[in-house]
This record gives sequence, C-alpha cells and structure tokens, in this order.
Amino acid sequence: MIEIKGVHKRFNPGSVNEVYALRGLDLSVADGEFVTIIGTNGSGKSTLLNAVAGEFQPDEGTIAIAGRDVTVAREFQRAALVARVFQNPFLGTVPGMSVAENLHLASLRGGAAWPRLGLTRRRREDYRDRVRALEMGLEDRLENTIGTLSGGQRQALTLLMAVMNAPLVLLLDEHTAALDPKSAAQVIKLTRQFVEDRGLTTLMVTHSMRQALDLGTRTIMMHRGQVIEDISLAQKRRLTPEDLLERFAELRRGEQLTDDMLDQLRRAYV
Amino acid sequence: MELWVGAIVLGLLYAFMTTGVYITFRVYNFPDITVDGSFTSGAAVAAALIVAGVNPLTGLLASLAAGAFAGAATALIHTRFKINGLLSGILVMTGLYSVNLHLMGRSNIPLLQHATLFTSLDAANPGLPGPVWSALALVAVMAAFWLLMSSLLRTDLGMVMRATGENPRMASANGVNVDRITILGLALSNGLVGVSGGLVAMYQGFADVTMGVGTIVVGLASVIIGQSALRVRSLGGQVLSAVVGSVIFRLMIALALYLGLNPIDLKLLTAAFVLLTLVLSQRVGKRQGKPFALAGPARSRWAWGLAVALAALAGWWALGQGPAPAPGPEAGRAKPLVGLIQLTDNALLDITRDSFAQQMRALGHVDGVNIRLDLQNAHGDLPTVNLILDKFIKDGASLVVAVSTGAAQAALKKVNDRPLVFATVANPFIINAGKSDTEHLPNVTGVYGWTPMDKTMALVRQIFPGPLRVGAVWDPSQANAVFNVENLKQAMAACPDLSFRGSTVAGSGEVYQAVQSLVGQGVDVLVLPTDNIVYSAFDAVVAAARPRKTPIVISDVERLADGALLALGYDYTSSGRQAARLADRILKGENPRDIPFERYESLTVGLNLDVARELGVAIPPEVMAQATLVHPAPQAAPGPAQEPAARAAAAATGRGKRLAIFLFADHPVVLDSLRGVQDELSESGALEELGLEVVVKSAQGEMALGQAIAQDLVRQRFDYIITLSTIALQLSSQFNETIPQVFGTVTDPYLTGVARSPTDHQPNLTGVATFQPVEAVIKNAREVFPRAKRIGMAWNPGELSSEACTMLARKVAPAYGFELVEANVTSTAEIMEAVQSLLIKDVDLFFLSGDSTMLSAFDTVAKMLHKARVPLLSNSCADIERGAFLSVGPDYYNVGRRTAAMALRVMRGEPTQGMPIESYVPETLCLSRALAAQYGVTLPDSVVGRAAKAGEGR
Repeated sequence: MIEIKGVHKRFNPGSVNEVYALRGLDLSVADGEFVTIIGTNGSGKSTLLNAVAGEFQPDEGTIAIAGRDVTVAREFQRAALVARVFQNPFLGTVPGMSVAENLHLASLRGGAAWPRLGLTRRRREDYRDRVRALEMGLEDRLENTIGTLSGGQRQALTLLMAVMNAPLVLLLDEHTAALDPKSAAQVIKLTRQFVEDRGLTTLMVTHSMRQALDLGTRTIMMHRGQVIEDISLAQKRRLTPEDLLERFAELRRGEQLTDDMLDQLRRAYV
Repeated sequence: MELWVGAIVLGLLYAFMTTGVYITFRVYNFPDITVDGSFTSGAAVAAALIVAGVNPLTGLLASLAAGAFAGAATALIHTRFKINGLLSGILVMTGLYSVNLHLMGRSNIPLLQHATLFTSLDAANPGLPGPVWSALALVAVMAAFWLLMSSLLRTDLGMVMRATGENPRMASANGVNVDRITILGLALSNGLVGVSGGLVAMYQGFADVTMGVGTIVVGLASVIIGQSALRVRSLGGQVLSAVVGSVIFRLMIALALYLGLNPIDLKLLTAAFVLLTLVLSQRVGKRQGKPFALAGPARSRWAWGLAVALAALAGWWALGQGPAPAPGPEAGRAKPLVGLIQLTDNALLDITRDSFAQQMRALGHVDGVNIRLDLQNAHGDLPTVNLILDKFIKDGASLVVAVSTGAAQAALKKVNDRPLVFATVANPFIINAGKSDTEHLPNVTGVYGWTPMDKTMALVRQIFPGPLRVGAVWDPSQANAVFNVENLKQAMAACPDLSFRGSTVAGSGEVYQAVQSLVGQGVDVLVLPTDNIVYSAFDAVVAAARPRKTPIVISDVERLADGALLALGYDYTSSGRQAARLADRILKGENPRDIPFERYESLTVGLNLDVARELGVAIPPEVMAQATLVHPAPQAAPGPAQEPAARAAAAATGRGKRLAIFLFADHPVVLDSLRGVQDELSESGALEELGLEVVVKSAQGEMALGQAIAQDLVRQRFDYIITLSTIALQLSSQFNETIPQVFGTVTDPYLTGVARSPTDHQPNLTGVATFQPVEAVIKNAREVFPRAKRIGMAWNPGELSSEACTMLARKVAPAYGFELVEANVTSTAEIMEAVQSLLIKDVDLFFLSGDSTMLSAFDTVAKMLHKARVPLLSNSCADIERGAFLSVGPDYYNVGRRTAAMALRVMRGEPTQGMPIESYVPETLCLSRALAAQYGVTLPDSVVGRAAKAGEGR
C-alpha cells in the first residue's frame, strides 16, 4: 500500500539551522497493516508522516501509495488517498465553524466544492448518527462551533472526519499526546475500532511504548532518519515496554559514549 | 430628508465594497489593499463601456470582471511567488493606477448624457421623491444581495473558503487547494468592490481615476463599525453588519455635516471611532474569551457607554457650533439659501470662493440679513461632495454654486430641480453642462475659461525668438491638465521651429524628477499648463529648473513671485465676482436657462523681473508693455504709488517716521554695531529732526522668529529698516520689496543675492559690506611665524559669510607662502572631529574666521589647539580673551556708525537705488602675549607696534 524508497530530506539546507531529517528511508507497508512508530526525539517520525501526507517533497527517493507514484503530488492532491490527525487538537478542525459544517467539509474530501447548499437536512441526520457513535454526547451539539468543544471532543471528531470518506491510508501523529488520560483512552478506543472495522492501512506515531506494543500489527523504531528496528506482530507479543526502553538506552549509550566518558574521567580526577 | 436618504443610498452603494472587504478581512484574514485600485477599475470599466454605448448592466458585469481580475492578480502574486499579502496588494494597486488610466483613456469620464442604471431606475419611479425611491430600490437589491452572499458562504464552496481563511493547514489536509481558493476569494471580494465602483460612478455621474483613494480604510472602518454595532455571530448577521456598517459610516459623515462640523475633522473622528470600537470589543472579547460573541449584560453596558459617549460628543459639537443650521421654516422662506461647494483646498478655489462672497455682499446679498450663505468644502473627498450637495437640497437651497470642475460635475448630476451656478471650471462642455454658451442644461449657468495657450506661446516667442525646445509636465489623471496640454500642443503646432517634450507624473512627489529629466534633455523653456498637482509642487519645479537656469512659464498668476519668469492666466477673483453677478440675476428672478455661460473677463500677464535678471533673460519692451503685473513691484519712493499718500497722511496726522533695527541674534559683534548705530543716530540729531521713532527687534537667533519679524516689519509699514547681520539681511530682503533698507555687519552681500555689484543691487536697499580682514590676519601671521607652512581652517559650507571668508583665505594664503588645509563641518557635533583631523595633518596654525558654527564652540576649539600648541588666528579681538593668539577684526562699533550714517542719508531723501554698497573694514590687530610666552614665540616689534591691544589672554 505504501512504498517509500531511499527518501532523503534536508530542511533549511546550507544554513546553521540545517536539519537532515530523513536519511535514505526505506519502508514498505502492506494493505491493512497498522504500523506503530516509535523513536527518539528528532528521529524523523513526524517527518515520515508529513512525507506521506505530502506536506513537502523529498530531496531524493520516491513515495508510492496504492501503486501510484505520489512523490511530487501536493498535499491536497493526496487527500483523497490519505487522511491524518494532528497532535494538536486545534489543527484538525475549523474552530469558527459548527460541528456539522466541519463534518461536511471532511465529506467533501477528494471531491470538488461547488456553490451548492450541500449540508442538507438528510446530511445532518447522517452526521448526527455518526457523532452519536463517538459516545461523547456531541449529537446534541451539532450546531455548536468547534471552538466551544474540549480538546478530546475535537480530537475524536477529527478522527471521525479523517475516516469518513474511507481513505486508503490513515496517519496519526501522536494524536492523544495532548489529551487528558480519559479522553486519550476514548480516542484510542475509537482509533482501534475505526482501523479494525475498515481495515485501514495506518501509520501511528506514539511516545508510549505500551501503546506501540498494544496497538497495531507491526512496530518500527526510527533513529537518525532511518528505520533501525522492524518488529513483526509475533515479535511484538514477546516484547515488553522495558525491552523497548532498553533498546533506546543502548542507542543513547552508543551515541554519548565520549561525553559520558569525559564526564566520568572528570569526576574521577577532579 | 435628502441628506439622510442620500447618505443611506451612498452607504448601500458602498456596501458592495464593504462586503468585499469583509470577505478578505474577516473570512480570509487577508489584508487586501488591492481595493483602492479595483474600486476605480470597476468605475473605469463601467464608465468607458457606457460611453461606448454598452448596456449599463453589461457595464456593471464588466466592473465585476475587472475587479475580480485585479483581486486574482494580487492572490496569484501572493500564492505563486510567496510574496507577503499586504505587499502583493500594494503592488497590484500601484499598477492598477496606470491600467485604470488606460481603461478610461483619460482621467475622468462624465456619464451625465448617458443612460445608466439610475436613469432606468428613475424612469420606473412610481412618484416617490427621487432619493427615497433610489433608497427603497437599493434596499430591495441589497436584501437580495445579502441573501445571496450569506447563502454563498453556507454552500460547500463557502465552507471551503471559510475553512481556508481560518485554518489553511486543515483545509489543505482535507483536500482543499488552498491557493486556488485564495485566488477565488480575492477575485470575488474585488469583484464586489468593482461593482461598487461601477455603481458609484453611475450614481455620481462620472468616473475619476482618483476616486478609489482611501477606499480600503472606509471599507475596514465600515466592517468594524458594523460588527460592533450589530454584534451578531451568525453568517447572515456578519454579512449584514458589513452592509449596515457602510450605511452607518455615511450617516456619520452626514451627521457631521448636519452639525456643521468641518469635514477635515471627519477622518480624525473616523479613526478615533474605529479605534474606540476596536479597543472596546477587544476588552470585552478578552473577558468573554472570544471576540464579537458577547453576553447580554456586558454587551448592553458597552453599547450604552458608547452611545452616551457619542451623544456627548455630538452635543459638544452642537454647542460649539451654536444653533444647528436648520432654521425654522419662516426663516428659510424669508432668506433664500445659497450653498457654495468647493472640491478641495486650493488657492484658486479659495480666491473664487472669497471673491464670490465679497461680490455678493457688494450686490446687497448679505449673509444672515437677506440671504443665507453656506460655504462648504469637501477637502478633496468625492463622496463628501455628494453628501454636501444632499445637505444643500435638504436645507432647501434656492441656488447651488459649484466651484471647480469636480464639484460642478457632481452637482450637475445631483442638482436638477433648482438653479446651479458653476465657477472656476476650465471647460463646462466636456462635463456635459451644455453644448454652447447659450445652449445648455436649463437650470445651469456659470463662468468658465481655459488659459489661452496660444497667447502664452506668442509671449514666449517674443521673449525667446528662434528654435525652441518647450518642456511641459502634467498629471494625466487631471482632466483639465490633459485638456490644457492638448491646447498647448495645438498652439505649438503652428510654429515648426518649436519642439515639444512632455513628462507625466502620478502625484506631486514625482514632479521634481520629471522636471529634472526635462531639464536634462535640454529644454529651453518650461511651459506648465494649469495642473493642480504640478502647481502644488511648484517649489520643486523651481528647484529642479534652477541648475540649468531654465525659465518657467505658468498659468497661475498667484505663483509668479515663487520663481516663474512669466505667468499668463486668469485672475480668479473675476471668476468669483462674475459667478456672484450670475447668482444675483438668478436670485432676482431670471431663469438660468436664459443666462448664457460666461468666460472669465480679465487676463493677467505677469513678469518676474528678479527671475529675468537671475536667468540673464532680456525682456523685450513690447512684452514689458503687455505686462499687467510686474514682480517685484516698482520702487514706490519717487513714484505715485500709495506709499507717498500714506506718508502724507502720516505727516498730516503729525506722526513721525518709524525706523526698525532688525538683528538676528544678540551676538557680541552685532550688539557692538547696534551700539554704533544708536550713537550715530542720537549724535546726528536725526531723532528730533526727522521725528524718528526707533524700534529694535531681535530674532534671538531663531530662524522662524526672524521670518515672522521680517514679515511683520513689512506689514506694519515701517518707513525705514536697518538690518544688522547677514541672516537679518537675507530674511528681510525676502519680504521687503518696497521699504528703504540699509544693512550693516554683513560680510558679503553679493553672496546673499540682494546685489551683484556695489551699484547693481535690489533697488530698495543698500548698505555696508564688511569683509572679514582675512588678508590682514594671514599677513600678520606670516610676520609672527616666519617658518609656519600650513594653516588649518574648519568651516561650515552652509554659511554664506563663512564661505566668503574661506574663498578669500584660499586666494590669499598662497600669496604669503601658506598652504591652506580645510575641513568641513555641518553641525557643532562634528567640530571636534574636524579640528582633530586638521591637527593630524600637522597644521602649524589654525584660522577660525566668522563661521558661526565654529564660533559657537570657540572655547572647545581653543582648548584643543592649546593642548596641541597650535596658535589660533581669528577675526575678532574679543577672541584674545578666550584663547586666540592673533586676531585682526573689524571694529563693529564703527561699522555700526557707518551703517547709521548711510541710513541717515536715506532718511534725508536720497533714494537707495542710487547709493552704491560701501565696503568698509576698520581693522584692529590684537595679540596674546601670554600665549606667545607659552609657545616661545618672539613677537616682532613691527607687529606689536601695530597692535591696538596686546592682551594677556589665558
């Protein structure tokens, strides 16, 4: 479903702020796979998602979705194939528009927007049913503006909006990180439900080792713009969050050896 | 009634524009300045098409397209090239100015003779008063438009537009092509602005290339005012508030006019009002956590506060203005109202207005006694012109007087049921006031005339015979300027040895460059046809023409004294006077239909002899004979002008002569000469003999005060003036062209321009020139310092007298074997650096002449030189006490005495014209023994013998 080959990306090339975010990334995701992505800060997890979403074009390499080369396609052109939920609950919706209008916007994904009154009474009923399924009591607040909702409610709606038009790929970028534990649990529950019901090919970035192991059919670990571990469903079942943490600790040691040594030497001799 | 209804109509016409601004400003969050250009584009396209015979409705659709095109251009620049939205708008708006001129083919298209949407509307009037019918029809149109717009924003497309404005990142993620939707939105917005422009052009009866200026500000103000007034959050409410805001804005202007508030203050009021609403809604918004969504109690409290504040303001004005100009019906019946409107503030229009009022009085129509005269000025704002006209109609004016082409054009459209008199209009036929002097609109008559360029060119030919390159500068957006230039070209076509070079400007800021380029192309003479923009920057024309001494010929006699050689034009007082006579006939019952248009009567030919002399242009006697105004005015003393009469009157009343002594600063040198003047005057016995009253005025070193004093001396008609110091002479000679004046304590009068040689000077003044004894300083320095090689000198090139000293020093120093090393200062802040730089160059001596910048830091300079053991030379003995080594100075007390002696000759009847300027330099040499001892310098006996004073110094 997703084929990423040799993708390189540098931001602000040639400046002091240069960031070499993706360094020859290769990744192949099969149809219906639910991949959780973990990695250190700055390892390129979000950049990988943005590359698939089309927020930028890679410097090198190719990206294909469902057999179509989308390397140079812009974000809005991929929107029919790809849907996403941002970490920031404010980003996924339009705060000044009502719940129904936001859902209607999502329903327009992949089609053209004509000057017609598309938000009909029937549509509204449809949206009401869908919102009711979220179990957040939003079915009575269809005409309220999004700006009056909580972060958890917004994120649940964004998720609903993302899967509404049956995209081929769903991108979740730490979409529960900014939520309170209760809302986060509800959103995770919904995520699992939507992905399993519709068999969506999903990439989900997370910081929670528990989430990474519990959810999905495959886990990849990223470091310095590359995939360094690819853990299958069978392996996942055997691993604990502590194993993953140990792997991170190894990475850190490998990288900061010299610094640590210096520090120790300093302590010993001063 | 008309005033308020007219304001509502205008508000509704502008509401299309404010709705457009609402879309960019509120929906898209895009600061779009294109509006100022697209508004005019809409007007231009509609007007051009209507004149070409196209159906007005089609014209309006074209306005929509033109505006949309402009908006799309801005959005394309913004999205494609990633250029800041504000900047993109500015770029397109600037470019549109040229495009609009091309679209119209000229700066102004009148629509009076053409059917517009409003003509069709009037034809369908079922019998209501005109403005009421227009307002009702527009309200209906606006209701439909409101329904359309608020529905559009609710459609799929509208939702996508709103999402793009509010959260472009989300929109893009949801498959919205954000760039395309931005282009669409700006096109829609500016399309509406274009429609508004087209409608306003049809309503006011013409399109003008400047009509869009300031539109964006009005648009933003209206949106903000509307939202604050309605405070509705729903989409329909938001669109409605843009419409309502536009109407409120126009009503505010109408209210201000009704209260008699000067429209000048209106912009300030608008700014204050918008600021107030912004601050209030922000504060309330903060408390509520969201702007514009206000809970009941807070909303009403603020609204009440606002209302009370506004009411208080209005009341204050009403009190300040006295009783509101809406008198009872009986007063209105008894005293007919004459309303005069001028388009803008401009000397010509002001003169017309004032002479009109004056002549009306002379004809027995006295304001407040048997007529009411309402003089209004729109200060250049076209919508205000319409409101003022509405006010006249509302007040039941018996007669409207429109001064200037723009005001006349709007009045022709508005005023059709009562007499209209126009004045100071170049050509009433191009604005469709009539076909000929006798065949014209039945309610209209007036005074007009354009400068006869053929006569102007004939005079130019008499002064400059032979082949001639003629340059002209004009602003193509000024209808009358374009017309005048055409006349000029026609007048020139008759003579094959004349060639024409033209340069156009867009605004007064470009005039200097345009003239410079013409002068650079080597034009022989600049002939400037009447153009308000160019004439408002006439000083820039003079400055740009000066380097090549290019003569300037203009059509505005008022500006002759400002540097033109020849001015041929109308005396606009006659325009006002003739208009008053026409008004008089109409008020006495004549039908304007039977009163032919009149042309201005008196043509003035003005010559500036000062400029002629400066440029070295000889004025042939036959031209001189045609001149009706000569600048400067001929010398009054021997002639039969009014001055002798005044003097005779003064003698008859027993009043003596008055002498003013004008000094620039209370500088010691100047005070010395003042003492000399006073002693000479009192010892001569002239005070009693001539019954002389002496007044001393000092400007305290302040330039502005000096100018005021100089003007006041002329205004008070002093009989004689003595000026002491160069600047006093310069200031005084600038304003004083008739009063006999004697100057003293001036280094070089020839540099000031009042004289070219001792005998060739401004006729009303003469005096004493006292060159600093520069040579004496250098000569004595050579004797005292036989081995010295380099003299350092720091001076301010901005000072005339300093320049004179330096030039002399440059000439004299080599003759005595010195090398002069110079440094320039432009302010006191640079003095220390300048002196330091000279010290580094190993100067042996330092010469500080009469430079006042340097003198003001004399102590600092002396201290620096003392440290470096460099002797200081100067031109004033007083400096020895402050650290100078050797000074040769004029004795200014005696200079004062000599000045007064000359003044006495003038007072005893000798004409200044025949008195040559005297050169008088009484030298005094002073030395510092103390410094000589310190520096180990042996003073030669010859020098010590000559010294009047060998002080101890410091």
